[in-house]
Amino acid sequence: MAELVAVVAASHAPLLARDWDRFEAPLKTRVSAAYHQLGAHLAAARPDVILAIAPDHWTNFFLDNLPNACIGVGAVHGGPPEPFMAGFGHTSLAGDAAFGAHLVATALAAGFEPSVSHKLKLDHGFCLPLWRMELDPLPPIVPLVLNCLEPPMPSPARCAAWGRLLAQAIATYPGSARIAILASGGLSHSIGEPTMGAIDPAFDAACIAAFEAGGDEAVATFLEDALPAAGNGGHEVRTWAVAHAAAGGNGFRLVDSFPIPQVYVGCAWATWTPATKDGR
Amino acid sequence: MSTDYALSKLFFDLQNPAAAAAYRADREAVLARYDLEPGVRRAVLADDVATLAPRVNPYLLRYYCTAAGMSDADFLAQIRRLG
Repeated sequence: MAELVAVVAASHAPLLARDWDRFEAPLKTRVSAAYHQLGAHLAAARPDVILAIAPDHWTNFFLDNLPNACIGVGAVHGGPPEPFMAGFGHTSLAGDAAFGAHLVATALAAGFEPSVSHKLKLDHGFCLPLWRMELDPLPPIVPLVLNCLEPPMPSPARCAAWGRLLAQAIATYPGSARIAILASGGLSHSIGEPTMGAIDPAFDAACIAAFEAGGDEAVATFLEDALPAAGNGGHEVRTWAVAHAAAGGNGFRLVDSFPIPQVYVGCAWATWTPATKDGR
Repeated sequence: MSTDYALSKLFFDLQNPAAAAAYRADREAVLARYDLEPGVRRAVLADDVATLAPRVNPYLLRYYCTAAGMSDADFLAQIRRLG
């Protein structure tokens, strides 16, 4: 059986790439330290695969075909197409077709109907954290694209169910693969709407408190109530809800969290200690 | 107000840097390929954010304004006036 060896989450923002060289040194130092802590945590877990959960920022999908969830089953994914991501240096990223297919099969057997893609492009939502964590080598990525940008979106309760499904898929995957989960997004932010730039520290703190408290159903209830006022970008916290449930709601540890008005995002970085197979 | 598909498609397509450059060079030529309502087309040509905003996803609006050459400061000023 495969093993879930690490669960981490990080915020992302295009301006963390596009405007990086313009930022004051203390900001760059603090942001880099947070990403590096996650990178070190992942590296220590020695993952064979990273199951990454992120929204699609109008890169692969448009209004003519907008899946709530899409699993990338390709052996290779396209790198980020955004010009500001050129410094990442990966024009393609390795996938894991076998684990991707197992994840799809597990989902279908459990009553989930994800879309499937054999050739996703992974935009900054996936690649900004991978870049800033400086993983070397970069393990194969199995992406789960979660719609967090355009209603209707998967409910927080469904996101929690997705998390439990991911844990089940990992636990039932034949072989000895070590699999890590990376969730990318949030916390509060507002993009392209009249409140653009607004960050809600109270929401961010309450969100973190909900993850610290544990239960994934309580997290879902909190998000259902609070997300409508967290800015349209705040919906990306749904990826965190997936990660939280995948970890069994266990061992949330905040690495850092602070508003970064320069990039319009209330940013946070965190790890979970996944529940063990015997329930400990 | 319901989503304007053609306007959204224009904004989506202009994420491509080459398409954005062509648009900045000749807006009329690019707009001719999209089935925009006349009032919406005028709003696009006028950078009338107030008219465009209710018709598209906010992310696409943001991307479009950058692709069209609008500064962040100008976009922020226009979008925040709608609050």
